[in-house]
Formats: sequence, structure tokens, C-alpha cells
Amino acid sequence: MYFIQHIESITHQDSFQKENLWSILKPLEADHALISPDYKTYIPAAALRRLSTILRMGIAASKACQEKVALEFDSISVGTGLGCLTDTEKFLVTINTVSGDILSPTAFIQSTHNTISGQISLDLKNHAYNMTHTQNAVSFEVALMDAMLCVDEGKKSVLAGAADEAIPFLDRLRGSLIETTHPFTSGATFAVISSDKNQSIAHIRACQVIFSGDNPEAAVSAFLKARQTELTDSDLILEAGEQFASFGAKHHHFLDYSGYYQSASAFALHLAHDWFLENPEAKNALIINNQETGKLGLTLVSRNEA
Amino acid sequence: MRIYVTGYGVISSIGENVEETLISLRSEKTGIRQGQKTYTERFKVGEIRWSNDELVERFSLTQHASRTALLGMIAAKEAFKGHELLADVKTGLISGTSVGGMDVSEIAYKDFLNGETDDLNVYRNHPSGTTSEQIAKELGIDGYVNTISTACSSAANSMMLGARMLLNGQLDRAVVGGTDGLSQFTISGFRSLMIFDDEWCRPFDETRKGLNLGEGAGFLVLETEETIQKTGKKPLAVLSGWSNASDAYHQTASSPEGLGATLSMKGALSIAGLKPEDIDYINAHGTATPNNDLSESHGIKNVFGNTVPPFSSTKAYTGHTLAASGGIEAVFGILALNNGSLLPNLNFSQAIEETGLTPVKNYSEGNDVKHILSNSFGFGGNNSTIILSKV
Repeated sequence: MYFIQHIESITHQDSFQKENLWSILKPLEADHALISPDYKTYIPAAALRRLSTILRMGIAASKACQEKVALEFDSISVGTGLGCLTDTEKFLVTINTVSGDILSPTAFIQSTHNTISGQISLDLKNHAYNMTHTQNAVSFEVALMDAMLCVDEGKKSVLAGAADEAIPFLDRLRGSLIETTHPFTSGATFAVISSDKNQSIAHIRACQVIFSGDNPEAAVSAFLKARQTELTDSDLILEAGEQFASFGAKHHHFLDYSGYYQSASAFALHLAHDWFLENPEAKNALIINNQETGKLGLTLVSRNEA
Repeated sequence: MRIYVTGYGVISSIGENVEETLISLRSEKTGIRQGQKTYTERFKVGEIRWSNDELVERFSLTQHASRTALLGMIAAKEAFKGHELLADVKTGLISGTSVGGMDVSEIAYKDFLNGETDDLNVYRNHPSGTTSEQIAKELGIDGYVNTISTACSSAANSMMLGARMLLNGQLDRAVVGGTDGLSQFTISGFRSLMIFDDEWCRPFDETRKGLNLGEGAGFLVLETEETIQKTGKKPLAVLSGWSNASDAYHQTASSPEGLGATLSMKGALSIAGLKPEDIDYINAHGTATPNNDLSESHGIKNVFGNTVPPFSSTKAYTGHTLAASGGIEAVFGILALNNGSLLPNLNFSQAIEETGLTPVKNYSEGNDVKHILSNSFGFGGNNSTIILSKV
């Protein structure tokens, strides 16, 4: 069993360190922006200055998780769709505009995808397994699957999360690289998963990625059937679209709340978790991540038995 | 349960396939030379001579893509040659890359910066995840696809994840490895870190000044015992151990005492159920930077004490191929196991004073090589070790 011990999100919602996301959730307003915590609580001021949004979010959300669980993380698995875009673009500008032999290395150093997980390990002085996955819109799911594998292997306090950041340049790629009508946003969600139930209220029953997704309905049914359940058993469907809106259960298009970033399905996991706080009768929540055509990330979350 | 290697493929500056690679290793011939591209011409690099278009034609690839994806397709195709897609063999692909499609997107972005029209479709090739999807498509794999991006340990981590997913029953067969094409972004990045050697790199040498970059890809096919019964494949080697640990010391530098390296080597030995004295050869990460080689030497001494087995870095053959290095060096490792080879650390003359370790200096065959340990260390203190064993 993969019990969710704690979960934190930093998004365009006022989501950080909230008891229940559903009580603060609202559709994105025209002037929406990332709602950042006071990062100084988590990151020394000197370090903070050189850290991009994605790194700040990743470190703050992970540290907030570590504070809430007794055990030091014995495994860290992070997903990111496009990685550290701010520093990548900054370094691209540098190499195209700065002449001479002296280039500042900071942006380059912080441009690699695993700067997020690396900074988390550095900040927490954590020597455990440390992995970074990137698979476009299912980056969170592949990271979560690794985290669940770590639990299967006996790890007791596994950090699983995802982060992505928006840069203005992305707007130019709407319709070529990225098909979405949602605004580009930034966000990070980190959760601690363990085989010990402790005080948790919900667990992840299964997570799967599917790349032969020409028939999403059949794929979703097969995924659920393998877990002895079906679509009509889902009390909540969180989808990156409306294709499954008519399947009876309560349905939300999660990008309406998070805006678009590749790993936004991690925020959907947080929404699913808190749904059980909000709805005492609810038992199952299904996340259908169909952000990208032909690709599916499916995550089934269930309330713990009393 | 054992994890078998049933296929391997490689491309780097020392060869376009396994056979050519072995010839170069045997003849102690480096692939590093003065760069041929505008952004490499000032440096010594392990460049593959063909342009992207030439690679597509030469290797009969079905897709035009970034250099990282193309090199990955070439090595993965060689590894998967003779393997069939079977309905009852769940096959996944896990590839490691550090820069993904940067070699093509950086050209479009430069046009954009210069106020010229950039081809927006080029950016489709940029995401690292896309490079793996393109490689998977080239092989016809549409099951699980994933990309590991932990800088220079990416390929090692892909192999490790593949093995773990096989053991866990999530996959029956996995094509695993890594790929990185050279880009101006990478060249400038390492230049900004001031860790290039203008001469040929000298891993583990007292006079080492820094690294030479390279490019390439290396892939393995992993299968369980049960899968082999179905596929009838003959195992080339056993992937017997793996481990990843975090150095948690500095974003780019390694800890002086080699803590992360020590943890990853010990972890891999533990998974393999082997003792340090069982290791017959170490293929070190050995980038030839002053920091890495000293830290890794300390790590090796921490694990192996005063009886360090024959070891070497093959980076002086290929240059540092970043996310591909673990995959390329795994192929070297399998060649060493099956030929009883000890691979030389080219350009070595003088041991590091502080550690006194002398690597293998000349190529030899016919040695008793049963277990090989291979290190890959990346930015962010990401330290990985795999162990390959004779079948």
C-alpha cells in the first residue's frame, strides 16, 4: 500500500500549507499569478537570490513535507516536463550575446532537470536514492511509479513530486509544441508516500502510463478493471479535459484550477487526496491525465479503510 | 532472479557499432580530435563525424529529429536488432539524456534572438522526453516509455530503473541506456565551468587539467529469465548490481572524501551480493577533472581498501559523453567481460600524488574478468554504480 503521509503544493491557487484545497480553490482569475510562500522560511536569503521559481518551489514544498513526517526521506523521485526553463533560456541568451571567454556558469549549472532533486538533497543533506524523470505530460506519473517501486522495495519515507515553471517564451509555442487553451502557469506538488498507514487518510492504489492511447476509454476501463473497479465506482474524476465528463461521477477539469504545466497532474493528486477530507462518503478518485494526445497517465486514489 | 543483458548497441567517436568499438578499444585508438563544428573547433572533442541528415541516411532512420534522438535510435536499434515485439512480452524503453533536443532548438532560438523567423516546429524536438518517444517509435515500442535526466549518471540510472521494473514484474523486457548529442549549449556550459582541458584529457593523472566532451549513445536490452524462455535470446551478460546515492555536497563539485561515490559502489555490491574482492575491473567515471578523479579515487579506496582491482577511465577514448556515458561504458564492460579485457586509461603517466592509484595502462585480453563495476556520477551529486557479471 502506498499511503500518502503528507502533500504540499505551490501553485496559482493559494494552496501552500492548506488543510483542504477545496476550501480555497477557485477558477483562475484574469490576473492570476503564482502564489509564493515566504521562501525565506525555507531557503537562506543568499541562496534564494540565485534560485529560479522552479527551484524555489521544489525546495520549499519538499522541506514543508519533511517537516511533517518523522522519518528522513529514504528516496526522492521528481518529475518535470520541461525542467528549469528560466535558467535554460538565460544561458541560451548568455551564449548568444556575451562575447569573450568568461561566461557566468550559474544559469548553466541550474539548467539541468535534476537541479530540482539535487537541490532538495543538498538542502536536506539527504544521501538517499535521488531520481529525476522527464516524460512530457506524464512526467509526474513516471516519477510516482518509481516512488511506488521504492515503497515495494521496502523504503519507508519516499518523497515523490513534480515541478514545472512557465516562461513567457512558451506562449510562442502554443499550437506547435503545446496544444492547450489554458494559460501557462507554474506549479509544484510534493508528497510523502509510505507503506505505513500512520495518520494518512488516503492511498494511491495504482498508477500507470500508456503510450498507445488511441482509445482512451478502453485504456481507462482496462486500468480500472485490473484493480477490480470501474468508472462508475469513481466518486471523483479529475481529468485534463472533458472527455470523461459524462461518466456519472463528480468531474473536474483540473487545468481549470492549476492552469497548464506539464506536471499539473501532481496537483490533481493533491486535489484527490483532499477530496476525501471534503466528502466523508467518497471512496475512489481517478485522475485521468490526457493532456497530450495518444498518451495517458492514470492514477487511482482511494480512501483508507477505517 | 537474474537480469540478463540480451542485446547491446553503441555509437561514439570510436565506432558506429559494437564491432568497430571493440577494434578501437583493442588498438588503443582515441576518437577525440580537434572539433569540426563552428562551436567545437576550438576544443578537442569526441565528435561523431556525420551531420544529422547524414545520420538519418546512413543508418536508414525513419524520422528526422535532434542529434540526441538520432544517436539514441542508432544505438537502440543495434541493441534491439534480432529482437521481436511480442504480445506477451511487455517491453519498455528508458533512455537517459541531459540536453534532449537542444542541438536543434538552440539554432531556432538563436534565430529568434536575432529577430529572424524561427521555425516553431523545431521546438517539438526539444523536450528530453520527446527524444525517448522518438527512439521508442523507431523500435516500435509503445508500452512504457520514460526518460531519466540526472545529468552524467542518466544512462546508469536508466539501466537501474529497467532492472528494478523487471524484478518487480512491471516489465518483461527493457531497452535501457542513454544518449546525448553535442550542442553549443553544452560546450559553452562546460566552458563556463572552466573544466576543459585544451589538450587530450588525462584521467587519474597528477597533471590532469579537465575533460574533453564527447557525444554518442549506448543501449542494452534487459530480460528476465522467464522472458528469455519466450524470446530464446542468448544472454551476453548479467546486470547484477546497481545503486544510486546522493553526495549532497555541492551542485557541481564532488565531496573531497567521495561519500556519494562510496555509497553508490557499496550499494551496488550489496544488491549483487558481492564482496569488493570479487570485482575484477572498475570502469571509473574518471572525467579527468581535478575534482572528480580525486574524489572518485578516495571513494574507490574507501570501498576497496588497499587492494584496488584493475581500474581505468575510458573517457580518454570517447570524451565525456554525459548522459550517454553510462550506456556506452556498459557496452565496453560487456566487451571486457566476454573478451577477458582490461581497458586502458589512455594518456596516463603519473599517479595522483595524494592517492597513488595507477590505472590500467595497456589493453590486454584473456584475463579472468567475472565482475565489472562501472561508475557514473552527475551534477547535483547524483552518484550511480552498476555491476555487470559474466553469464
